[in-house]
Formats: sequence, C-alpha cells, structure tokens
Amino acid sequence: MNRSSIIALLILAAVLGYFLTFGPESTRKLQAGFYQMISPFLTTGSSLQKQITSVRTGLKSLEELEKDNAELRVENRALNATNQALRDVEREVNRLRTALAYRERSVFKLVPAEIVTRDASTWWRTVTINRGKQDGIETDMSVVTDQGLVGKTTTVSESISIVLLVSDENCRVAANVEGTREQGIVSGERVAGALAPLLNLNFLSKQANLQPGQKVYTSGVGGVFPSGLLVGAVKEYKVRDLDGQARLAPAVDLAKLEDVFVVTGRK
Amino acid sequence: MIFFAILLVLVFVAQIVELFLPPLEWMYNAHIYIVPVVVFYGAMALPFPLMLTLAAFAGLLLDALTMQVIGPRVEIALGWSILIYAVLASIMHGLRPLFIRGRWEIHCIMSGVCTSLVLLSQYLMITFRRGSILFTPEAWWQIGGPGLLAMLMAPLIFWLLHTIGEATDNPFLPQRESY
Repeated sequence: MNRSSIIALLILAAVLGYFLTFGPESTRKLQAGFYQMISPFLTTGSSLQKQITSVRTGLKSLEELEKDNAELRVENRALNATNQALRDVEREVNRLRTALAYRERSVFKLVPAEIVTRDASTWWRTVTINRGKQDGIETDMSVVTDQGLVGKTTTVSESISIVLLVSDENCRVAANVEGTREQGIVSGERVAGALAPLLNLNFLSKQANLQPGQKVYTSGVGGVFPSGLLVGAVKEYKVRDLDGQARLAPAVDLAKLEDVFVVTGRK
Repeated sequence: MIFFAILLVLVFVAQIVELFLPPLEWMYNAHIYIVPVVVFYGAMALPFPLMLTLAAFAGLLLDALTMQVIGPRVEIALGWSILIYAVLASIMHGLRPLFIRGRWEIHCIMSGVCTSLVLLSQYLMITFRRGSILFTPEAWWQIGGPGLLAMLMAPLIFWLLHTIGEATDNPFLPQRESY
C-alpha cells in the first residue's frame, strides 16, 4: 500500500470519527441543512413525476377509447385528451375543496402541504412535504388528512420536512378503541411487503375481543398526537401470551397520499 | 480528475432519482438502487484514494437522505453508510486487476451482491437497535431484490460509465482497449 492510500485511509478514519460523534440534534441539523440544499431538485423532480403520471393516465384512456369506438378514433382522441385535462382539473378542484372544507371545520390549526417524495429508503416509511420552519412547522407535529392520521414530522428544514408515517415501526401512537375502554399502542411493521401495510395495535387486554370494523382513535397520551384523530379500523384481533393484539387497516391510504395537513395547534 | 468529478455528479443525480423511483410491489416493495452500481464501478476505475472519496460521498448522501432521527435517538448514526461503502468498495477495488483484464462479468455480479450487503448491514443494525430478530420472506426480498436488479443494471451502467471514461480520457484505467 503506497503513501497516498495510507493518507486517504487516515483522512477517511478522521471523517468517520467526526461524523460518528454527532448527537441527535447535530444530526438533525445536518439532515435539515442537506434537505434544504437539495429542495429545488426535489420540488422539480416532484412536479416532473406528476406530469409523467398525468400523461400515462391520459394514454391509458386513449387505449380504452380505441377499443370502444374504432371508427371515431381520431375525433375521440381529441375529445378524450380534452376530457382528460378537464378530469384532471375536476379532480384537483374536488381534492382542494375537500381539503379546504376539512381545514375550515377542523378544531386544529392546520398547515396544508404537498407530498414531494415518498419511501426514500427500504427500511423507513417516510415522506417529505413542501413545508418547513418558515411555515411554522416544528419537529414532532402530527400530520393528518381529512380521513385520519398520517404520521408526525421528524426533521424540519426551512422549506421541507420529513414525515414519519404511522406505518413505520418507530412511529408509536397511543390509541383507544371506539365504544370500549381498551387502550393500546399503534405501530407499523418493520418490513412490509405491500404499499399499504396494516398496523398493529398492541398491549390490549386479553379480554378485549375486538370486532372487525371497530374504529381506533388517538388517545392524546404522550403529547405528540392530539386526541380524537382516526388511526384506522380493526381488521382482526388475536390473544397473545401476555396481551391482545389487533391488526388495523389504516384510515388513510398511505400509498396514494397527495395532500396532507400539519397540525400546528388548536384553534 | 474530470471523470472522477463526473462520477461524483452522477452519484448525486442517481441518489436524487432514487427518491422518485417507486418501490416494486411485485417484488415485495423492493427498491431500485443505482448509486451502489456507480460507486462500485468507481471502485474499479479509480485509484484507491479517489475510490475512498467517492465511497465517502455516496455514504454521506445516503445517510443524510435516509437516516431517521426520532426524538433523542438516531437509528443508524451518520457515518455508518460511509464505512459500509468504503469496505465494500475496497473489496471491489481488490478485484480491479480482473476488471482491467476484461473479466468484468464478475464485477457485475459482485455489484449486485454488494448492493444487497449494504441493505443487509442496514437491516442488521436496525434489528440490533430495535431488539428483536425478524427475518421474513419480505425482508429477504427487500434485501435480495435490489441486488438482483443492480446485477441486471450493472452491464449497461458499466458500459455507459466506461464510454464516458474513454470520452474523458480517464487516465486511471490502463489497457482500456481490453475491456
């Protein structure tokens, strides 16, 4: 091994030693700074991705139209393209109308946000949103939609934040079950083979005997998640050696998230 | 040095692109990883100090973009990915004489294996931190799937990078004509 290789190894060891001494706060700051630096790339990438998805949807409709009406193909293509554009607009309007209505009737102060990227890595279920410190977002704020709980913010930069989804094993939510006194902790699975994995509601009593369809809400214990947010509905219940466990279908379709709200306080 | 700079830029771009690639549902949600293939090509095409720099850059990017800080806890501390990349890239660098002799198919297979090793080491660290060993078929797919995909992508990516290397007159690859 020559001298330059040894020097390179020593420098690498020094850099590693430096980074490995970082505490959670320094790490969070570095991550936030990094996300802030690359936020223009992320927002551009996100809008490009939306355009590509929109074009793909349009092409699918054209294929269906060709099958239905062969003799009017050319004319129908033009009509379908217009309709597709209008449908996109209509969908957008409906989506925003629902979001606005939810924001107005909600008891919380909500900051609307759009999803920029999702599932950045294999082992952690996160999304990034286009809101940050400059919008009043802080670490450990709940993220919701009109359908229910999505997760909580972890790292927050000036204009972009990372949201840990409720389907991640590390996101633990104190919850209670509708119509019962049962309380437990909801968490996701470590490894999920589906885009919309089920959640686990642990530490229930062995006598809970929950029925499919019963709704589970946040209890407010712990302080991060306010009480009364819908987490999901019971799909199955089983008794284990020491406690009862329910499997929940999340209230929100986490695979198709587009718009979310960050809860910044109560009205 | 131009080629080295290009590799750094490509690692950055590939890392951003990876964020927008959806996981493959038919492969138990396995992700597509491009960065390791670029890094492992760099491990063969660059001298040892530059290879370490490239590995450190890729590791830092991976950590900064994916690490999870929850309350007072960092799940995989900043720096571990640098170490993992550096070790695996060094192994690939050890196979450089074979690559120079034109036996690059071994490196394509090794790129896939090393991609899976990056994920396996991350998973082992998480498992250790969370305190319970859990190896489901889904976990194996999410570790092995990206490796298989990297193996399939490697010939094309290697060829592209090799072409770029030749176009920029990469001085670190002797006997380039034998590739």
